[in-house]
Amino acid sequence: MLTEKVIEEGGDEVDQAIDREIYDELGELAKYVEATTRTLREMETPLATTADQLPQANDFLAELSRMTEEGTHKVMSLADAIGENRTQIKKALDDIQALVAGKGDPSKVQDRIRAIANLVEQDESRLLDISVALSFQDLVAQRVKKLVVILEDVQHKLLKLVVVFGLQQGKAHTDHEGQGYEMLKQLEQSKTTALEQGLVDNILGEFGFN
Amino acid sequence: MSDLDFTMKVLVVDDMSTMRRIVRNVLKQIGYTSVEEAPDGKEALKKLKGGGFGLVVTDWNMPVMTGLELLKAIRADAELKILPVLMVTAEAQKENIIEAIQAGVSNYVVKPFTAEALLEKLTKVFAKKTPVNA
Repeated sequence: MLTEKVIEEGGDEVDQAIDREIYDELGELAKYVEATTRTLREMETPLATTADQLPQANDFLAELSRMTEEGTHKVMSLADAIGENRTQIKKALDDIQALVAGKGDPSKVQDRIRAIANLVEQDESRLLDISVALSFQDLVAQRVKKLVVILEDVQHKLLKLVVVFGLQQGKAHTDHEGQGYEMLKQLEQSKTTALEQGLVDNILGEFGFN
Repeated sequence: MSDLDFTMKVLVVDDMSTMRRIVRNVLKQIGYTSVEEAPDGKEALKKLKGGGFGLVVTDWNMPVMTGLELLKAIRADAELKILPVLMVTAEAQKENIIEAIQAGVSNYVVKPFTAEALLEKLTKVFAKKTPVNA
């Protein structure tokens, strides 16, 4: 009888210990699930904004390319127009020289001088337009600054993801392939290994290009 | 400079319209009167096969068909292979230059360049026979 009672009491204690252990483990599991759910909820917004920001940044970059192209064409067109005026001015001066030397009607000298004055005035306006057109550089710089901020923000959010999910453990699997990585590598190399014409000529010389 | 034939038709190949315009203007300043443009190697090859060109001035980095691929295609074409090809590019790493030389480039100008630099290179290109590997 006594033995049975001891066994029974001992069994209850074991059962209680097992129950407590299971209860503790379930508690830990519940905490972990809650923490993970909270983390995922926290990451939801940064991930969504990152997904929004990257296409926007892409559009900004395409816009920058268009702006620089347009600005450059504008400056070149104005420079071409000034060049054409310069040719006309040169011709008018030749005419004046000939008229002064007695070749032709001397009264036309005034006409030629007026024509030159007009052309110079046009060019003054064009020179100012060139300065104004070059302001695209300022617009480009402003947008580039904003893009840098967006990229830094995206980088910050990605780093947060890396930390939260412990992705750094998988660093060995970093993707060093693909067009993006190759372009980045080329950009990096061009900072230090781009050669000047003189050095290029030396290489060409080694291959018989004199 | 006297070796240059300014009536020769020149094809400028670059994906950037501004750069094509700059090269075209510089060529005109040098004295060339007939300059045509193409935005990539594929388009350039199509124009070249139409005939009449005496010189190609090409960029390296272009969509569809790069300058290097264009150069190789020119050197592989029986009718085009002796055409002088001047590479005008920002790709100025040693391996790029060697790759271009091996592909049969006539000379190599680094961007940004001056009219004098381009003229000097063109004078050299036409002063000797174009190196052809094909």
